[in-house]
Amino acid sequence: MKGKRERKPGEKKKKLPLGRTLSNNLFALRCIWQASPLYLIVYLGSSFVYGALDFLSESYMLRRVVNGVETGEPTEDIIRFVVILGVVNIVISITLGWFWNVISPGKQRRVSAYVEKMLFRQAAKVELGCYENPAFYDKYVRAMDEAYNRITRVMKTLDDLIARVIALSANSVLLFIIDPWLILFGLFPLLLGFFRRLENIATHDLETARKPVNRRAEYVKRTFYLNEYAKEMRIGGMWGNMLRDLRAAYREYRSLVYKYGAKQAIYGYIQRVGLDVVTILGATLYAVWRCMVIGPENGGMLVGDCIVVLTSIGTISYCLNNLIQNFAEFGEHALFLEDVRFFLDYQPAIKDGPDTAPEGGGDVTVENLAFRYEGAETDTLHDVSFTWHKGERLALVGSNGSGKTTLVKLLLRLYDPSEGRVTLNGEDIRSFTLDSYRDGFSTVFQDFKMFSLNVKENVLLRPAREGDDELVENALKESGAWNKISTFEKGLDTILTREFDDKGENLSIGEQQKLSLARVFADRSPFVLLDEPSSALDPIAEYTMFENMMRATKGRSVIFISHRLSSAVLADRVLLMDHGTITEIGTHAELMKQNGKYAAMFRRQAENYLGSGVSEHE
Amino acid sequence: MSKSRDDRREQKPKQKLSSVFRNNLYMLGRIARYTPAYFVLLLVEALIMGALDSAAALFNFNLLNAVDEGTDFGYAVRIIALMAAFYLAAFAFQRWYHFIRLPLMRQKLHLRMHEELFIKARSMDLACFDDPAFYNDFVWAMNESDTRAVEVLEDTGALITRVAASVTMFSLLFTIDPVIAIILFASTVVTIVCNLIGNKVSFLHEKENNPRWRKRSYINRVYHLSDYSKELRIRHADELLMAEYDRNTEEIIRTDRKFGIRYFFLYGLAWGMVGQIVSYGLTLYMILLLTKGEIEVGGFAATISVVWSIRWMLTDLVERLTKYRKHSLYIEKYLEFLRFEPRVTGSVTDVPPFESLELRDVSFSYVFADHPQYAFHEADYEPPAQESGGKDALRHVSLTIRKGDKIAIVGYNGAGKTTLIKLLMRMYDPTDGVILYNGTDIRTFDPEAYRARIGTVFQDYKIFAASIAENVMNGPYTDADEQRVLDALVAADFTDKLDTLEEGIQTHLTREFNEKGVNLSGGEAQKIAISRVFARDYPIVIMDEPSSALDPLAEYNLNRSILQNTGGRTVIFISHRLSTTRIADTIYMFDTGRLIEQGSHDELLVRDGKYAEMFRLQAEKYRESVEEDV
Repeated sequence: MKGKRERKPGEKKKKLPLGRTLSNNLFALRCIWQASPLYLIVYLGSSFVYGALDFLSESYMLRRVVNGVETGEPTEDIIRFVVILGVVNIVISITLGWFWNVISPGKQRRVSAYVEKMLFRQAAKVELGCYENPAFYDKYVRAMDEAYNRITRVMKTLDDLIARVIALSANSVLLFIIDPWLILFGLFPLLLGFFRRLENIATHDLETARKPVNRRAEYVKRTFYLNEYAKEMRIGGMWGNMLRDLRAAYREYRSLVYKYGAKQAIYGYIQRVGLDVVTILGATLYAVWRCMVIGPENGGMLVGDCIVVLTSIGTISYCLNNLIQNFAEFGEHALFLEDVRFFLDYQPAIKDGPDTAPEGGGDVTVENLAFRYEGAETDTLHDVSFTWHKGERLALVGSNGSGKTTLVKLLLRLYDPSEGRVTLNGEDIRSFTLDSYRDGFSTVFQDFKMFSLNVKENVLLRPAREGDDELVENALKESGAWNKISTFEKGLDTILTREFDDKGENLSIGEQQKLSLARVFADRSPFVLLDEPSSALDPIAEYTMFENMMRATKGRSVIFISHRLSSAVLADRVLLMDHGTITEIGTHAELMKQNGKYAAMFRRQAENYLGSGVSEHE
Repeated sequence: MSKSRDDRREQKPKQKLSSVFRNNLYMLGRIARYTPAYFVLLLVEALIMGALDSAAALFNFNLLNAVDEGTDFGYAVRIIALMAAFYLAAFAFQRWYHFIRLPLMRQKLHLRMHEELFIKARSMDLACFDDPAFYNDFVWAMNESDTRAVEVLEDTGALITRVAASVTMFSLLFTIDPVIAIILFASTVVTIVCNLIGNKVSFLHEKENNPRWRKRSYINRVYHLSDYSKELRIRHADELLMAEYDRNTEEIIRTDRKFGIRYFFLYGLAWGMVGQIVSYGLTLYMILLLTKGEIEVGGFAATISVVWSIRWMLTDLVERLTKYRKHSLYIEKYLEFLRFEPRVTGSVTDVPPFESLELRDVSFSYVFADHPQYAFHEADYEPPAQESGGKDALRHVSLTIRKGDKIAIVGYNGAGKTTLIKLLMRMYDPTDGVILYNGTDIRTFDPEAYRARIGTVFQDYKIFAASIAENVMNGPYTDADEQRVLDALVAADFTDKLDTLEEGIQTHLTREFNEKGVNLSGGEAQKIAISRVFARDYPIVIMDEPSSALDPLAEYNLNRSILQNTGGRTVIFISHRLSTTRIADTIYMFDTGRLIEQGSHDELLVRDGKYAEMFRLQAEKYRESVEEDV
């Protein structure tokens, strides 16, 4: 359903209804207002001042001076007028200069922080499935990229609008006084709005159509400059394929430009001709005719009036045309903000329940669970049922793609099941608030991540408190990471990764895994989920880690996924998954007796260590 | 220490005017070579724009004078018609240029520059990627150099436009009253000075805020990328990031304010006031001339509008001029990257059939990680600190691999196993000692040709956003390769998965830019990586922990398969899982960079050293349970 909302070029749905356009733009102003009312007020207020000043120092001054000279007004009066105008102008520009240079940058930061944090908070809330849905993800990335920019542009457009309305009305009045017919020329640009809209549509279409092409080119670029690809790119000829893809992206782009660019060019041409040739030169011709052929004695124009027409008609038609553009801009902003609001208003499919999860853990029962990833054709999990008793340590084993990791994600409520349910002490886990429920778990994912924060925070994954140092140090010792960490000059305060600190430390994958395991040790939550906790560890480290884990998790409920069946021996019970469901369940000894798939797998692994005699041995 | 180095580098912008000139000229020359059409059309466009501005000024002046003097109406009509014709033609050119030619030419320039950069990047030493300072500059060159190139060109275009227009306008002013022209010119000097100082200030400003922007974009990325999505949801890492974000915001605001005050004095006061005073002063001066009857009403009006346009144009002109200094700084980086000579090189492209590979007393140290050797500027190089000797990743390693050997390199994390492989593949050159291929130093061979002899599955292999077939070939695929690819996939035990894919080996992998692409699981992806070594007849095959993501059954199959399918080839296994490596003829045990034990599995067990200890530890769990079982 989400996938279908994506706009494709050429489709009709270009314009939002007026109400929505208005509401999206108001949304932007509300964001700014909430972040800093002063900024919004001064920003918009200054456009009134600028609008008035510009009119006074251009058309009005010109007419005042020329008429003054022609009617023989005393020179001092004219000069006084110009001086006063100049002084007012200077005072205002200094005052506002202070605002623009000193106050405004800070306020802009506040606005951007307000907007970004709003997005971040929502990003942490939407369900994981959203990341796997390309249409949604595109929208999300677009929202993240564009939000702040668009929101401030709404204000900018409004600011332009105000300045133009002032210039427009002042100059119109002046022209009307000189010759009412001139207003007709001024109104002509209104007709051009139609073409502007067409041009905007073409622009938007081009941008949308370009996105996938850009994505492709960006990807190629990454393969050449990211460290992680550097080795592969140095062996074999994949780089040639990548360059080919880059050229293909260029060719695709070229056809897009021919298609949409021609439209942009033609509609744009009509507008410029309408404005500069028809309106401005037309009005000039009219004014010159009224002045030279008709002449002032027959009710035509004075030379001074003719001059004002030349400057004012330009101002009016540009203002009008830009006014239309302003409205079109509001439309455009609204379109982009639609993505932002869609994202912000999106109700995560995984919702909080009304209750708080029990703090001490309990029995978890999985009942007839089935799950299918969005867009997938088959269930990843089906008919999964088992009970995970309080304090029980389960090993989850099975071949690649059998659904182990998915099951873990469902237990964490990163996804909700398509069928069946999971209960904690008999209550559906969907009835708990997400935070309270997930807080009960310590989890190490297969693709665990380090943050560019210090070691302590990376272990705690929450703000550090008094006395945490000891806790973290012990946890690191248990997970085996302490040997490495203790060599760092700054110890627990060492920043990990060199993302933005050149003195940060880069840990090897093995060390990173140990560190992520320390997260489990540092935390007293009743449930522990470990997805292949030892894949990057060497045998000694693995052995010590498992021993420590068994000791440290006494009394806690544990599920660990492992490919090395030697560790499964340590578990209270073993669950064997095969093609999305649990096929064998029991203690290691029971399953060995059962002599099914688990026993076969175990023997094969053991064979390599104990010689080929083992299988017959039994 | 690295701080002082950074400081030195960042203070560099004191460039000579001649190098500013040379760099920008060089960039223009490059653009002219990449996309000559862009270059020519831009110049044409610039001149047309300049003519347009000048024509508008002359038009106003002549028309108003004609009206004022009351010459005949036909003359005025002719001027207006001429202007209209000019507009019609110029706009047509402009639209075509801006909406069709320009995007295409820009994209073409982008493509050409990137092709060159990419090929250069590929020839760069792997060590460059480990040197953060070099890498930063390199990433910059990748991301920014084409936008810079466009800016240099566009600025040059705008410069031509402005110069053309202001020459016309100044001469016009001169004919009206030289004093006006001179005053106007003098005020421009103030603008230039303000701008020069302003540039220095904003450079400092940027420098102070840069680390903060980096942090900000990192936080942004964490929320952007799906990689972090799980971690963000299960714990409270987001609170940490938010707190970091808030601190960061406050720091930026403080800095902005500090510099804002300087900007205010510079732009708000000095520049702004001089500009206003000059404008109003000139207006007053002309009113005096007008009342004295020294200029006509038409001339007066034309002059006022010309004064406004000139002021605006000159400001713009100066701003653009000062930008060249900045451009030059970046062009310098770009050129240094292009001129960078890889150190891992060799000339002999004819690599003979493999017989033996010998390491003779090889030591290696990743010094560049802490002490950049690959800095662009030689002057930036600082000798490694004293204690670096203790950090050697490999120390005095000697061993020989012969054709057909099946050897294993084992050891704990950090023993130097992967480093050894990188040296064998000539991703790096040894710090000390030599590696001999059939008795010849491998440094004599062209790295590309040499590496073509070795098929490698890296521990951190990568799957590309391309078809399965291309991923297996790790390069171009033609239909003639079909059987080869299928066989390789069978050898790597990928058939089960392949059967479920509708498009077979043409299936596109990853969803990077193809919505129908298939995302493989870790184990499946690794099988693809493994199939790469089967797809070509490499005499040497290196498996760096090939089974880490595989389940037990797959691991068992893989081990068997590698042995079967590699036939007489030389195979080097790297593992910390000793069950995989007991099949090897010779096992080399490494410990903290040293080769400590070597021999067959049985020999090493008899020897009862570290290897035996490690093996027993791993076997223990299996043994216990099997015994219990029995």
